[in-house]
Amino acid sequence: MKEIQRVSPVVFKSTPVKTEQRDNWEVVMEYSGEGEGPFLVDLSHRPRFDLQDASLSAKKPFGIVIPEIPGNCVLENGILANRMNRTQVSLFNLDGGGAVSMPDESGYTDVTESTVCVALFGENVFSICEKLTALDFMDSQRKAPFLFQGPFSHVPCQIVALSKEGDASGLVLTCSRGYGRDMIHSILHAGEEFRLTPAGESRFTNWIKNL
Amino acid sequence: MMNRFNHLPTLKVDTTQKLAFIYKGEKYYGVKGDTVASALFANGVRIFGRSLKYHRPRGLYSLDGECSNTCMEVDGVPNVRCENTLLEDGMVIKEQNVKGSAEKDYLGFLDKMDWMMPAGFYYNVMHKPAKVWPIAMKQIRKAAGLGKISPDYEMPGKFDEIFLNTDVCVIGGGPSGMTAALCAAQKGLRVVLMESRPWLGGFFEYRSREYQDGQTLNERARHLAKEVEAQDNIRVFTHTSAVGTYNNNLVTGFQIGKKENVFDERYIEIRAKSVVAAAGCIERPLIFDHNERPGVMQIGCALRMAKTYGQMPGKKAVFSIGHDLGLEAALELHDLGLAIACIADIREDGQDSDLVRKIEDKKIPLLKGWVATKAHGAKIVKKVSISSLDGQVSKTFPCDLIVASAGMTPVTGHITVAQGTLKYDNHTGFFLPDMMPEKMHAAGRILGLNDPLSIEASGTLAGLQAAFDCENCSIQEIGEAKKALENLPGPVRGSKLVTAPVKGRKSFICFDEDATIKNIKQAIDKGFDMPELIKRFTATGLGPGQGGIPGHNLPLYVAKYQALPDISIRPTNVRPPLVPTLISTYAGVNHKMFKITPMDEMQKKDGGVFRNIGVWQRARYFSNDVTCQNEIENVRKNVGMLDGSTLGKFRIHGPDALKALQRVFVSDMTKVKQGRVKYSAMCNDDGCVIDDGVVVKQGENDYYFTTSSGRAGQTVEWIRYHTRYDGWDFALVNLTDSLGVINLSGPNARKVLEKIVDIELSNEAFGYSEYKEFKIADAIPTRAMRLGFVGELSYELHVPSSYMKAVWLMLREAGKEFNIQNFGVEAQNVLRMEKCHIILGQESEQRTNLLDVGLGFLWDRNKADAKTVGAIALRQAENDQTRLKLVGFKMENNTRAPRDGALVVDDKVRGYIATARDSFSLNEAVGMALVEGELSKIGTRLEIYEDECGDDRIYGTVVKMPFYDPEGTRMKM
Repeated sequence: MKEIQRVSPVVFKSTPVKTEQRDNWEVVMEYSGEGEGPFLVDLSHRPRFDLQDASLSAKKPFGIVIPEIPGNCVLENGILANRMNRTQVSLFNLDGGGAVSMPDESGYTDVTESTVCVALFGENVFSICEKLTALDFMDSQRKAPFLFQGPFSHVPCQIVALSKEGDASGLVLTCSRGYGRDMIHSILHAGEEFRLTPAGESRFTNWIKNL
Repeated sequence: MMNRFNHLPTLKVDTTQKLAFIYKGEKYYGVKGDTVASALFANGVRIFGRSLKYHRPRGLYSLDGECSNTCMEVDGVPNVRCENTLLEDGMVIKEQNVKGSAEKDYLGFLDKMDWMMPAGFYYNVMHKPAKVWPIAMKQIRKAAGLGKISPDYEMPGKFDEIFLNTDVCVIGGGPSGMTAALCAAQKGLRVVLMESRPWLGGFFEYRSREYQDGQTLNERARHLAKEVEAQDNIRVFTHTSAVGTYNNNLVTGFQIGKKENVFDERYIEIRAKSVVAAAGCIERPLIFDHNERPGVMQIGCALRMAKTYGQMPGKKAVFSIGHDLGLEAALELHDLGLAIACIADIREDGQDSDLVRKIEDKKIPLLKGWVATKAHGAKIVKKVSISSLDGQVSKTFPCDLIVASAGMTPVTGHITVAQGTLKYDNHTGFFLPDMMPEKMHAAGRILGLNDPLSIEASGTLAGLQAAFDCENCSIQEIGEAKKALENLPGPVRGSKLVTAPVKGRKSFICFDEDATIKNIKQAIDKGFDMPELIKRFTATGLGPGQGGIPGHNLPLYVAKYQALPDISIRPTNVRPPLVPTLISTYAGVNHKMFKITPMDEMQKKDGGVFRNIGVWQRARYFSNDVTCQNEIENVRKNVGMLDGSTLGKFRIHGPDALKALQRVFVSDMTKVKQGRVKYSAMCNDDGCVIDDGVVVKQGENDYYFTTSSGRAGQTVEWIRYHTRYDGWDFALVNLTDSLGVINLSGPNARKVLEKIVDIELSNEAFGYSEYKEFKIADAIPTRAMRLGFVGELSYELHVPSSYMKAVWLMLREAGKEFNIQNFGVEAQNVLRMEKCHIILGQESEQRTNLLDVGLGFLWDRNKADAKTVGAIALRQAENDQTRLKLVGFKMENNTRAPRDGALVVDDKVRGYIATARDSFSLNEAVGMALVEGELSKIGTRLEIYEDECGDDRIYGTVVKMPFYDPEGTRMKM
């Protein structure tokens, strides 16, 4: 039998230059012709968890204090915690280094497989976004990181703006896995005029390290 | 080609850069910066097209596309507004709405037949006898209309869209708009500035009159534009028209792209905290006989032809104007070499004395209290008659240009569309903003202002008011800005004249619809005394110009003709799009957003034929045979694989998870046992069945359940809604996309599955309706259920989506020796129909309850504590004999199956066919139908009516369900 391989919902036409095997995923670290940015990086293999509890304030997933206000987020030790509503928080492991297991407590569900997860960062990312959504990333009232739950290219998404600082601006977006093909197509199409290119995970790791 | 001025600082054309274009098959040249209209004019074209009804010749008039005069076919696209469309190299331009040519139109004789076509003639004539009307209608439709388009026309070009958020949106890039934008931006606010022309400057941009301290208006416009463009927090959108304003300051518009842009047109949607309406004024057309003859132009048109495009609009002109801009234009054009025979000024007095003195200095005859009454010339202007306002004295002048304008009309559409109101102002003669919409402010000429400093001061005030809306400005600052405006010249007195002293048979109030003053009189005489009624009866203002030309003239004339003591009537409602644009622009990019399953690629490789089903794209067939005979027979006799990944899949967990399940499912969910699958359904409050699926228990207070594909998106909300007052502690997670589903079905299914799993699969070890969790190849966590939707031995494997391809390949490899095949949703549909397993939405509709479809056995009547959603309604419906019932039927004489949705009839409709197919398993046509109770008895004959079958009915007979394997032995083997 052939080696078991997991398949990401994200498919880029670019040619992978460097890949890494991780938990049956073939993670592309670098693509040819990545250019100068902005970049679109597939993070669908990164573990993501759903935590629901009536008293979220009592929970400390991965040692993180969950933000109290829905829409607020915190990024600590590579874990991004996004307060969604009164009882729910989403957790993204954005740290490529260590494998993170789901806490062995009640309330958690592994939702890695549920969604497409991509990072969009670099110059003009919010100009790309405004072609696809009416969500206001540049609202001065919102300090990064913050969470939007709303339509992006007409599809309900969770979008976390991690930085609004010029060329270092960027966000992480998740939506239902089934929309992967069309979401990637619409983002790349919207980003064409800004020279958006697919990039490997290394770009993302470097970017998030510098935030 | 005409020689152009090339020394004017206001020019927007580069005469050194020639652009070639084709007009009526011949090559012509324009220059960079030309519009299609200005390029044609430079090449001697004066008649651009013919009018809608009378096929009258039409030419340049406003230069802003306010009417359909210059709509032409450009590069195959009909109805292009040539005054607003920049010329591009290689464009192919054609006339439209002509029989012959614009110069010689064979339908031109219709102009003489106007007596046959009074206002609303199509409501009055050609209806009796009734049989004449279809013939007349065809002829009218042939003659009417502008550009032609075929039903399968595909719009060429690139269309885009953007969705902006801003603090302040300023509509209009003239002096007041720019000042407002600067003022708001200086307060640190984000500003979006929209200007419909390709450059900023508005009313100042093309004028050389002094602004202040020796600076011209043109220079001032450039200065302001530079300041605006230097502000990082002002986003300038030129060549962008605002087409709609809505509640909560949502502004929509469209932008025309430049060559370097990635779009030809793009839709713009702006959410602003405050809006400044500074769209300025258009000119109010002067109404006299043949007032739309080519050679008659508005002041701005004539002046901008020279100052912007470097072309003299004519050789010898007569001006008939009612505004100082007309005097200013006469002076400027005279200085550029235009011979002016006379200026007829509607106003007896009140002219700018400085302008009057200069006119006298240049010895241009100025007649105060005079007006043009008739343009002469069969196709283009040859001479003009003018008269005193009382019509007692008249004169005639030979000329090829009549510059005509009654005054100004503020562009208030953005205010009224947002539910602002207007009120007639006797001083200006304008309908001025009365009640402004919340957080919208007017600035500039829209308020009747004319003095350049006042216009800018009003912009400052509006900018501060907008900043106040954004909590960024004090009342005191606004007070100071108001004071500053009050110390400057206020609105100027406007001309009140609407029509010259003429009868009006050929005096056009609406060019687009060929509506004359006489038509308006006819409508009023018939009792249509309000502009809104007249608009509909005469079609005035219903053309592509969106009412720009009749605009405020219509209510003014209606008031005058009826001798109303005050002008209490209002202009007609304008509606989005305020400026005509393409439907393609509204459509935007139109990314198709569908979900695909993890097996999409594999199924495509296997020849799957995909269809959009709800939000998903699914493989419906695996061959061109839409009956799916091979797919069906393979499942019945061998083994097949179906991708069922679209099923809704959910985890519900937490201390109160069971209570929530009890609430929404009709069955007693305490009976869900570990290792077993429970099938149940959900109803709405009316007892109507909305969903069905299976539930399994994964652990203590931890359940996994499925729903139909179509309802998956609403399930979480549905359960939360129906438990909203209970304060129950449970968590719901949508796992629909997380897990793919493979349905392995057929008598050989066990033999295939055995090859890839390590668990015992015998009927004893893994029986029907049982549930197991295991790993495939020690790596792939799998949830497996023994189900029988298609009526055969079946395993439903729920696998993490990323592993689906691996499992699919394993099963295919394992099934090779059995010749395993895919089957699609149509084959599944037939297989389950033979077994009489229902699909909600197929065997049910909105009104169908649980009992109607024979699922009453699922309902547990004893779980009162749970307050099951729909239970009360089901109790009421239990004894209702009038409800439709689901029945099975076979076709008589083994005829073909009826179409889904066909009606069951006798002398009235008695039900309908849910699903019916020619069954290969049974060798006859069978189906299920929802019929009235009395038709549900076994043996009842059903008369079936299909669309367009006429009197030819087909017949079926009610039979017992299920049709296939009634004992269910095959799925339990």
